[in-house]
Amino acid sequence: MNPGIAPSGLFWTTRLGANNVGGVNPGAGRAVYQAVDVPIMDFHNIPNALFGGGDPPVPGFVSFEVRWSGTDDRVNLKNPAIGFAGEYVRGQAQMQWTARVGDLHYVSDPIETSSSEFAQLGHERNGSFYP
Amino acid sequence: MNVRSLSAVRQRSARLHSMSRRQFVRTTGATIAGGVALGSGVLGPIRAQAAAFDDPLPIPGGSPSLGGAFHVYGPSPTGFLDPINAEPSSITNFNGVVGLAYIDGWVTQTSVSSGEWHRYPFVASDMRFMQGVYRGVDGKPRQGTFGFI
Repeated sequence: MNPGIAPSGLFWTTRLGANNVGGVNPGAGRAVYQAVDVPIMDFHNIPNALFGGGDPPVPGFVSFEVRWSGTDDRVNLKNPAIGFAGEYVRGQAQMQWTARVGDLHYVSDPIETSSSEFAQLGHERNGSFYP
Repeated sequence: MNVRSLSAVRQRSARLHSMSRRQFVRTTGATIAGGVALGSGVLGPIRAQAAAFDDPLPIPGGSPSLGGAFHVYGPSPTGFLDPINAEPSSITNFNGVVGLAYIDGWVTQTSVSSGEWHRYPFVASDMRFMQGVYRGVDGKPRQGTFGFI
C-alpha cells in the first residue's frame, strides 16, 4: 500500500498537513508522525507497485501513528556526490495502523507491540539547500 | 513500502535492466503507449494527476539496487537495499526534519462482508516524513509536510 509514483517520479510520497508531525525534537530522537484516512493504492505486492503489469491496484485509506524515540547513535553526514547533508539521531520507532481496502479492513496490534529494524530522525539539507 | 520486499526486487531489477525493451515488456506484462521513453517510473504505476506549482520534486538519484530508476534510497544497517548512510529524504531542494523507520509488527485482516480474518506480520514497513522548507515545481521556497508511506 502506498500513494503511487507521481509523473515527476516522486516516489510514494504524499502531501500532508503540518499537524501530521508533532513533538519533533531531533536531538532527543523524538517525533510523532500520524495521519488519518490517507488515500493509498493497494498494489498487492512490491513488484506490481514498482513495475505494474499485475492485478490492478485497489484504492483505499490508511491511518497510522509512528513514534520515534531513543538516541542510540548520532551521525553527521555530508555526501557531495548525492548532494545531501544532515545530522541524524538513530534510535527506535514503533507504529500502529489501520487500513481499509475494498472489503478488507486491517488493524495492527497496539503500538507497543511493534519494533523497528532501523529508525533515524534528523535535519537534512539537499538540492538547492545543500551546503 | 516494505524494504525487505524491495530488496527482493533487486535481482529482478538487475535482470530487467539487462533486458531489451521488448523483453522487458514481455516479462513484466507492462503496456507501453507508443513512443514513450523507457525511463524513470515510465513503466511503473503512475499517479494520474497533473503537477501543481507547489508540488515537491523527487531526489535526482535513486537506489542502484533498483537500477537507479526509482527516486528513493533505502538506508539500512545491513545494507540490504542501500548503505546505512544513504539519503533518507525522497524530495529534493529540501531543508528540514526527516524521519525514517522500518517497523515490524502484526496486523489482523478482516473481511467486512464475511467476517473471516487472518493474522499477518508486517515486516520492515518503511514509514518516513519530511517537514520543512522546500522548493517545488515553481522554485519558490515554502513550508511543507510530506509523508512517505
